[in-house]
Amino acid sequence: MTAEGGVQYSKIAEIKGPLVIVDDVENAAFDELVEVETKDGERRLGKVLEVGNGKAIVQVFEGTTGLSIAGTNAKFVGKVMEMPVSREVLGRVFDGLGRPKDGLPDPIADKFIDINGEPMNPEQREYPKDFIQTGVSVIDGMITLVRGQKLPIFSGSGMSHNLLAAQIARQASVIGTQDDFAVVFAAIGVQYSEAEYFRRSLEESGALKRSVLFLNTADDPAIERIITPRVALTVAEYLAFELGMHVLVILTDMTNYAEALREISAAREEVPGRKGYPGYLYTDLSTIYERAGKLNGKKGSVTQVPILSMPSDDITHPIPDLTGYITEGQIVLGRDLFRQGVYPPVNILMSLSRLMKDGIGEGSTRADHGEISNQVYDAYSRAQEVRALAGIVGKAGLTEIDLKYMDVGDVFENEFLTQATDENRTIEETLGILWKIVSKLPKNEITKIKDKYVEQYYKEE
Amino acid sequence: MANSALETTISKILEQTEKSVISNVESALNESLKTLDDSVPKLEQEYDKIIADGKKEADKIEKQIIGSADIEARNKQLIALEDAVSKVFSKALDQIANTDRSGDYSNLIKTMIEEATKILGTSEISVSTNAKDKDVVQSTLSQFSGAEMSSETIDCLGGVVVKSKDGAMRFDNTIDARIERLKPLIRKEIASKFGVGE
Amino acid sequence: MAAQGRIVWVSGPAVRADGMSEAKMYETVTVGDSKLVGEVIRLTGDVAFIQVYESTSGLKPGEPVVGTGNPLSVLLGPGIIGQLYDGIQRPLRALSEASGSFIGRGITTTPVDMTKKYHFVPSVSNGDEVAAGNVIGVVQETDLIEHSIMVPPDHKGGKISNLVSEGDYDLETVLATTESDGQTVELKMYHKWPVRKPRPYKNRYDPTVPLLTGQRVIDTFFPIAKGGTGSIPGAFGTGKTVTLHQIAKWADSQVVVYIGCGERGNEMTEVLVEFPHLKDPRSGKPLMDRTVLVANTSNMPVAAREASIYTGVTIAEYYRDMGKDVVLVADSTSRWAEALREMSGRLEEMPAEEGYPSYLASRLAEFYERAGRVRAAGSPDRDGSVTLIGAVSPSGGDFTEPVTTHTMRFIKTFWALDAKLAYSRHYPSINWMNSYSGYLADIAKWWGENINEDWLSLRSEVYGVLQREDTLKEIVRLLGPEALPDEEKLILEVARMVKIGLLQQNSFDDVDTYCSPEKQYKLMKLLVDFYRKGQQAIKEGTPLADIRAMKSITTLLKARMDVKDDEMPKLDQLESDMQEEFKSITGVKVSN
Repeated sequence: MTAEGGVQYSKIAEIKGPLVIVDDVENAAFDELVEVETKDGERRLGKVLEVGNGKAIVQVFEGTTGLSIAGTNAKFVGKVMEMPVSREVLGRVFDGLGRPKDGLPDPIADKFIDINGEPMNPEQREYPKDFIQTGVSVIDGMITLVRGQKLPIFSGSGMSHNLLAAQIARQASVIGTQDDFAVVFAAIGVQYSEAEYFRRSLEESGALKRSVLFLNTADDPAIERIITPRVALTVAEYLAFELGMHVLVILTDMTNYAEALREISAAREEVPGRKGYPGYLYTDLSTIYERAGKLNGKKGSVTQVPILSMPSDDITHPIPDLTGYITEGQIVLGRDLFRQGVYPPVNILMSLSRLMKDGIGEGSTRADHGEISNQVYDAYSRAQEVRALAGIVGKAGLTEIDLKYMDVGDVFENEFLTQATDENRTIEETLGILWKIVSKLPKNEITKIKDKYVEQYYKEE
Repeated sequence: MANSALETTISKILEQTEKSVISNVESALNESLKTLDDSVPKLEQEYDKIIADGKKEADKIEKQIIGSADIEARNKQLIALEDAVSKVFSKALDQIANTDRSGDYSNLIKTMIEEATKILGTSEISVSTNAKDKDVVQSTLSQFSGAEMSSETIDCLGGVVVKSKDGAMRFDNTIDARIERLKPLIRKEIASKFGVGE
Repeated sequence: MAAQGRIVWVSGPAVRADGMSEAKMYETVTVGDSKLVGEVIRLTGDVAFIQVYESTSGLKPGEPVVGTGNPLSVLLGPGIIGQLYDGIQRPLRALSEASGSFIGRGITTTPVDMTKKYHFVPSVSNGDEVAAGNVIGVVQETDLIEHSIMVPPDHKGGKISNLVSEGDYDLETVLATTESDGQTVELKMYHKWPVRKPRPYKNRYDPTVPLLTGQRVIDTFFPIAKGGTGSIPGAFGTGKTVTLHQIAKWADSQVVVYIGCGERGNEMTEVLVEFPHLKDPRSGKPLMDRTVLVANTSNMPVAAREASIYTGVTIAEYYRDMGKDVVLVADSTSRWAEALREMSGRLEEMPAEEGYPSYLASRLAEFYERAGRVRAAGSPDRDGSVTLIGAVSPSGGDFTEPVTTHTMRFIKTFWALDAKLAYSRHYPSINWMNSYSGYLADIAKWWGENINEDWLSLRSEVYGVLQREDTLKEIVRLLGPEALPDEEKLILEVARMVKIGLLQQNSFDDVDTYCSPEKQYKLMKLLVDFYRKGQQAIKEGTPLADIRAMKSITTLLKARMDVKDDEMPKLDQLESDMQEEFKSITGVKVSN
């Protein structure tokens, strides 16, 4: 950092939405950090979105409410936005822009890191394959999470995604090797109570001292949400790749992030893509999600569990849609299961973990894991078809084998899926229940499992 | 006779009543014993559950207490450190404020104005400073054509604020602003003297 | 004189510079003090509009822009195979040596190791007349690739002189010179070629030879020909990438170019980690020895994503010109189209559908037109092909969106991925009712000649069962399966068996991941046999329940995993077991 930079310009040409357009700007860089000073001396942060021909378009994170053309100054700071990082950020609470919110002083920085990060070189990535035991059967058994993966939870308003994310954070962090772990939690426009639930949950498990919290709650400025996941991930990368920790990052709720992005795009009068979201939403989201991973020669890892609420539970909405194209699978919560009171209400048919195949099997979970989970997917899918059919023709119209599949569906939901929020199952227990489900079927229905495993684990009741 | 018959009847009734009372008592006793027997395992279960829950809760609380205590201790340390840093800071600022304005100081002012004209990209500037530095700045300004002294006096430790003459651009190159820009680095430096932050 | 201008405006990957009257369209330029790579995409007066291939964060108006005089080009020569490039042919390994785990900016490097020596065997002599495209000798690039050194396509031709003798030379060594019209031209092991210009060839052939991928639903049902075009659209989670990886792994081509265009970083890593350990089923050599990767992941600068497609296809054409069959897999063309859209938006062009530029269709057409089976220019005669397979990621899984609809106009094989199939874990989730192949008639001949002459009729019979099932399903949905007569129930049963035993394929299973054409044929034949015998049995009064209870069914359905390609006798055994079992169930019936 130099002592340079810091020219303050006072010719404000226009203020619209979250944007301030400054005239007669001679010396400003694209992406540069800007301090906007109001008439009353209040300072707000922003950054340069476009610069040239004597004009700079500045996006103000804390909103433009109360700014006026006369009396507003914009200071171009001479650097991009940075987050001070050190080991001491653990156990701290920051606001959505990375400033202390816990009444303690600024962290004494070991480093200042550009919050935008740089793209990981694919050649330097290490392919993620270390199984994370979350203790949640449906995840461990059917949608396995591995270190360095990005696996979002697609939820809907009011569903139990926070309970699930908190359970994962509590249970995944204490199991396994003695490696250092940390949890980075970024609240993006969620209600205070949700953020507080998460904080308390970490506190009760004693994990708070290994956690860093970034809180932009519903009543905080909307545009700040563009920054919140980025400061959080900057800290996560530092903890993982400089200090060698395994970091679990929870980002909730990415829908609020995308909405902030749409607001800026609308103010810039850009040609919109689908549903008014900017055409670059995919690229922009990828600069967040792709910050998960492992690197060759570095000990730590960044695992991301972003949460997003699907507007009207619609999985084809641009936000879940584009997210699904970037992330390595998705955990989809189902409204029907939620209504039935099932926790966690995971719809496994729509859920998927792309990295599961490499995280399971002999040496990490058990050799039969892949095949038994395939068979259960198949069986549960059949069960759903049969249920739909039974709704029309009644049970009487079903064949004997159809009825067995109905049974499979019930056992799956009542014994496998359903779990208490403080119930931490081992992978052995989880696989045991899966075999119990499959054993409800006659052997000749088992087409996806090798005979040797069937002989070993199949137990007819 | 009638009396004795009556008596017999009465005594019979009494006897029966007694029996039924006794049997009632017995059955009540048996029943309650049975209930008691039945409830023992349930009670034990309950007891175990209370104990287990209590243990879980205790575990939770223990973790929570240890966790919180760790954090609290660390936070106290952070605050103490910050106190120390501020003390060092204010002392340093005092020293700067009271530095001798002769010799090198005018060179510093010159550099500061040069820097500002370069960054603003114009030599048509107006320069302000505090009361104390006014003379030094005034004499330095003769080396900058197009520069003029502002009538406005500002409150600062030293250094200058340079504005373009049209007022559109302003560059704060006071010592205060420079320290502000470097503050995170200075804090790190001071903290490392206390053996913190590696 | 190279253009020398100054930046006047910056917005994301788009930069405007003035003083650029000397610049040419599509010329590469260096941008700013940190010398970022950019390309001129519009000229207005002396203002050049530049797309920058690296992050422009921190770039300021006033910084210099310098022209290079050359269009965006790739370097073509030995050393390309096995590399992982970014969108503008910078080796990512070299970038990591310069900037560590994360990609830095303004790094210059050569696409291949210019100092590496290859053993050159000349095939011409001093005094020979050569023309553009002529092969002057060969080097062994990898165990699998014999690399022809060719006279560059834009060479005017001339007489060979100063030819070096057989021996080890590096890329900068002048192997020979040519003389014509008093001009001397040096020939080296490499030349450069602009990416946006298709490499010339002598003439084109119709694609009639199948590209065998070892994937049953592709080879048997919706085949693609060498030199053909194919598209694989699907919503997220439908298994696009896995299917493309399978093609890249098992296709019977000599070279594979895999472009990760705006996709996940870990997917490229997966290829990098996995391919060196996987053996080509035909040669037994590591797959990496025939593979080139071009990676511009989603979070890397968007303009380089646009270039990556052209970089990849130019490399593919170069190996085609050596007489090789090349498969190019692009995942995903939708992200490439989005890059076009983003630049178009910054240029403030008038948008067409969903904000895409009006030239989207013509760009897609130009790209797919670079596929083909050709006779290469120059002598000796070489026939090679470029097969282009592009993934499409339709938003919301909606196949009516612009990229999918335009792509469908220019490709001949369409593998429609289906979210419903994927949800029930039917992989590959290629929907057999919505997919098609325009090559079926052309390549049926190959199957008839090389595998079995009744291939096409068996395929039609199996496909017929699937079509019948599709209509019967409607009835079942309304009335339940018990409403159907036994013959039709048998169709449902056979369709289920076709799906499980033939269409589904587990790419993570060691045996099932690749299926030889012989095994594909045999499995199909067994299923048809079962169907025919089952029909017969029902006609003769055998209850369906007896057929359903047959032990051979499970064996047949697991054969794809249990029987290796070199264990075909096991399938013959299965065939006779099945016959016996049919005999026994129908026989019992008669004796009763």
